[in-house]
Amino acid sequence: MSQTHEHDHEAHAPIQSASQISEFEVLEMAVRELAIEKGLFSAEDHRRFSEWAESIGPSGGSKLVARAWVDPAFKERLLADGTEACKEVGIDWLDPTGTGTPSDYTYFYVLENTPQVHNVIVCTLCSCYPRPVLGMSPDWYRTPHYRRRLVRWPREVLAEFGLHLGPDVEVRVHDSNQKSRFMVMPMRPEGTEGWTEEQLAAIVTRDTMIGVALPKADWTATSSPSAG
Amino acid sequence: MTSAPYRVLLEALDPERRRGDGLPDLERTPDPWESRMQATCECLSWRGTLDNLDRRLAEDALGETTYHDFPVHARSVVVTAHELLDRGAITEKELEARIAAVRARLTRD
Repeated sequence: MSQTHEHDHEAHAPIQSASQISEFEVLEMAVRELAIEKGLFSAEDHRRFSEWAESIGPSGGSKLVARAWVDPAFKERLLADGTEACKEVGIDWLDPTGTGTPSDYTYFYVLENTPQVHNVIVCTLCSCYPRPVLGMSPDWYRTPHYRRRLVRWPREVLAEFGLHLGPDVEVRVHDSNQKSRFMVMPMRPEGTEGWTEEQLAAIVTRDTMIGVALPKADWTATSSPSAG
Repeated sequence: MTSAPYRVLLEALDPERRRGDGLPDLERTPDPWESRMQATCECLSWRGTLDNLDRRLAEDALGETTYHDFPVHARSVVVTAHELLDRGAITEKELEARIAAVRARLTRD
């Protein structure tokens, strides 16, 4: 096995030096270690929770949208009370140790796209995101460029994602916060008549639920980018 | 929830990082310890020591009063520690000693 690897070490971020360690990081470690020593939880609890939380993807959100597309009564419940309707697909926002959330007690709102209204979500203050249903946010969602510009020039930002909306479509930007999380319910695309819920869920990708893309009948997030 | 600050927690605030009056820094990227802290909070709630909702309410209350000078991203760790001290789950002496021990480990050459 070769012991060499070819890449530019200069391009790497330097390893954190002792002088860069913050007191908050030290405090976090101290609190965690004491809690474990006192038996408040175990190191295995902590490791399992971290691994589980980081593995949540957008499939929960996809299921919600697909079910709403085929079940009008469910759609009504989802739009009326997102947190409660999530339980029907096995996501409990209030129970971090069940099948639900890696975080907080928040209100969860599902925003329905229509031919006249297109919704898109952002968190201008930091990076609030509906993680129980969409998993971890993409890197670009957390960038200042996206956060700052979407609220001022939404059409311009959406166009950078390749999404060009006509002047007859109203664009609504929803700013997430500590208490409220949002997810977009895109419109069901043409060419999906008669599809099963599972087939539909496959085309409801993360970006369509953020609102920077529209679902297509011929493309899923697991497809090769050149497919369709 | 008590409102008096714990000295050991006040000492964690670097005067250079004191919270300003302006908007939070948009360019800031969360540190890895913040994810670990979130997992700690969830485990404390899961195992019944500190309910998430109680913690969030304490963060709002103490973050704007007792620990107002701390940056917002530090609220979870400072307030969780405050609540554990309040509830007698850990003592100031233990926390102080552990902070010193952790710092010594991380800064060892």
